Amino acid sequence: MTGLLSYLCFFATVALSYGVATLGLNLQWGSAGLFNVGVAGFAGVGAYAAAWITAAPAAAHWGGFAAPIALGWLGAMLAAALVAAVIGAVTLRLRADYLAITTFGAAVTLQLLALDLTALTGGPFGIAFIPKPFEALADRPLAFGAANLALAAAVTAAAFLALERLTQSPWGRVLRALREDEAAAASLGKAPARFRLQAFVIGAALIGLSGAMQAQFFGFIAPDNYLPVFTFQVWVMLVVGGAGNNRGALLGAVAVWALWTLSGTALALLLPGFWQARGAALRVVAIGVVLAATLLARPRGLIGERATVSRHVAQAGG
Amino acid sequence: MSLLEVRDLVAGYEPGLPIVRGVGFALDAGEILVLLGPNGAGKSTLARAVAGLVPVAEGTVMLGGGSLLAVPAHRRIGAGLGFVPQSGNVFAALTVAENLAIAAAVLPRAARAGRIAAALALFPDLAAARGRAAGLLSGGQRQMLAIARALIPAPRVMALDEPSAGLAPKLVGTVLAKLREIAAGGVAVLLVEQNVRAALAVADRAMVLVEGRVAHAGTAAALRDDPRVAALYLGGVRAA
Amino acid sequence: MIGQILIDGITSGAMIGLGAIGLTLTCGLLRFANFAQGEFATWGAYFALLIAGALGGAAPLGPLTFGWPLLAALLISMGLTALLAWSLDAVLFRRLRRHGNAIVLVIASFGASLALRSAVEFLFGPEPYYYSRDIAMTLRLAPGMRATADQLVVLALALVLMLAMHLLLARTPLGRAMRAVSENPDLARLAGIDAARVVRATWLLGGALAAAAGVFLGVTVQVRPAMGFELLLPLFAAAILGGIGSVPGAMVGGLVIGIAEAAAVPLAGAQYRAAVAFVVMLAMLLVRPRGLFGGRAA
Repeated sequence: MTGLLSYLCFFATVALSYGVATLGLNLQWGSAGLFNVGVAGFAGVGAYAAAWITAAPAAAHWGGFAAPIALGWLGAMLAAALVAAVIGAVTLRLRADYLAITTFGAAVTLQLLALDLTALTGGPFGIAFIPKPFEALADRPLAFGAANLALAAAVTAAAFLALERLTQSPWGRVLRALREDEAAAASLGKAPARFRLQAFVIGAALIGLSGAMQAQFFGFIAPDNYLPVFTFQVWVMLVVGGAGNNRGALLGAVAVWALWTLSGTALALLLPGFWQARGAALRVVAIGVVLAATLLARPRGLIGERATVSRHVAQAGG
Repeated sequence: MSLLEVRDLVAGYEPGLPIVRGVGFALDAGEILVLLGPNGAGKSTLARAVAGLVPVAEGTVMLGGGSLLAVPAHRRIGAGLGFVPQSGNVFAALTVAENLAIAAAVLPRAARAGRIAAALALFPDLAAARGRAAGLLSGGQRQMLAIARALIPAPRVMALDEPSAGLAPKLVGTVLAKLREIAAGGVAVLLVEQNVRAALAVADRAMVLVEGRVAHAGTAAALRDDPRVAALYLGGVRAA
Repeated sequence: MIGQILIDGITSGAMIGLGAIGLTLTCGLLRFANFAQGEFATWGAYFALLIAGALGGAAPLGPLTFGWPLLAALLISMGLTALLAWSLDAVLFRRLRRHGNAIVLVIASFGASLALRSAVEFLFGPEPYYYSRDIAMTLRLAPGMRATADQLVVLALALVLMLAMHLLLARTPLGRAMRAVSENPDLARLAGIDAARVVRATWLLGGALAAAAGVFLGVTVQVRPAMGFELLLPLFAAAILGGIGSVPGAMVGGLVIGIAEAAAVPLAGAQYRAAVAFVVMLAMLLVRPRGLFGGRAA
């Protein structure tokens, strides 16, 4: 029983960390209409930054400042924001599908760097022994799991509330106006480029934070964690939950992570021995089908955007 | 029964926001009907709805006794309706010859060369420019090509959205005179125009649209000579 | 050294160009970036693997490592992959187009690409396959310039396919209709062109050419689940470099990317191949977003 409960705590902790990334992507896509297909890249930057800052010194990789985890997470957000500012400054003026291609390319390039710059990143073997929060409780699994879950929940709640305030603020309204009709909003004297870059950078900081959380909860990172599958997972979470809605983003994250976990378990039970090693691949196929089905059947997701936006969106979506 | 009959037509780009609000008219073979009216009155929308480019919410469009509404836009040329849109009315990256060949492709193989030759006879300028990209033509030549493109499949009804827009004043009369020639061959012509004076000079009948409804309809000659109508709807333009 | 870079770059560039033709056509016609294009190459390569295996062993042709079964498999695989591309459009993209948001299509294609790749990985496993276990015979073309017979035949076949595609677009009524719909879909409808038929033809052609690229890649390198994914950035780079919608542009763009990659390998290392395509593409988007051949603007 304790085992199941502590497993559920871990499950929820990871789901919430995905939720933070989904919230970040929702600010970029749902509010600002920025098509980021490089989610994995920003999560990776956050994860490596947190690992460098918080891990103990090690010969296999750079960093190892053994600083407090809070500092690591802050650093992760800053690092991801910085990378986003550079990428955004170069690419945000491109048309949506070119932005998609370039963010995708940036993430692929970042992943190649993580693989190749062995002295910094530990190369393909990644970084191990990243300190976990509440390690003192590690010998009492349930308390350890509950404490981590509480931490993840607190961070997620803080991100959620901050974003709710931000999107309801005049700043958020300008973003939505820009997404719908750039020419009209620009004619009101709003500089579109600056607002979009701000949204892109804040969203990337949250995605970086999510990467840092996962690095810390798992205690281990490697370049293979930051393949396009990660980007895909977060996108499916957002689409399933409903873009433009922070509640939907969180609900989508939990629902899709549950589906992902359950499908892994189901495949392990159902597939005969030889095929089990390939079960992970089948899981991606299943999630891909879920995405396609959601887009076809419920293009606005489980919850969808709240109707506070202008009639244009309602019509475009309906 | 007339060749083209439009009744109680309601049309617009978005559901619930009609731009054309209940318009009807009839058009016979060999006749030119000009649609006039201020900007935003729904003239272009009406022509585009007849061509199948704008959704029709209510009403009927009948050509030769058959309804056009169920006919998808790409089949309307085969059903006898040619349309020349106002902008983007030639394939700029294709040569003049290719533009003409695309127009002829809806005809039976044996009829193609003859129809292209007939169109080139009407617009001799185009024959010399056959190998050039349509995007490199002058404004007048481009408009001729656009009309030739719609004419080649031998439509029974031709609709044109401001064919004189952006042309030099000297060319406006030339282009509109070609429409008179086309109508003389038995084609019914529906003409949307801002160039009121020149349009009334070639048209048989005229219809003034205001806010999506017919504000006046009659012969072109009567409208030319009616200072009240002209002052009211046409910005004070009067025929000499 | 330079000669070797050229011959290697042109060979891989020809395959990139082949794959990019479908990408640039669907992007020009349907206004969306299809992330699943690379997977058509992967599926094409695996289709050919299965078919060549079923046709059985035959003696290799001359100095090549493969015989007629692979050539037959190439043709059948092109047909099957064409059908795969068409069905992906019929099941997914065509329905989403009715909703009218191009970005949703891109997300869907991103999902489709991962699903298609993972399906291959599930069925065949992650390990590489080879069409032949024979050692490829190397020919010396010039001092410091070597190529395998396989490489040269593949290059010739790729160039023949590109030429055929070019002639189809430039000379046939279908090609004319494809260019017309790509430039102005509304006018094409008014001119009586059935856009749905043109879109169907575009998917079939794009899928078939990508399959050929996949088989050629399989002949000269290996057959792996990730081969199409690794091709994706080069494909986008070639299409953007040549100008979206331009078939000759995609071919030349492919050659440029292929040569740039081959030239960068001795400098940066083979592991940065994909990054080279990305950097060239980014530079192009920033300097001249319409591409070398003036396709659609960014």
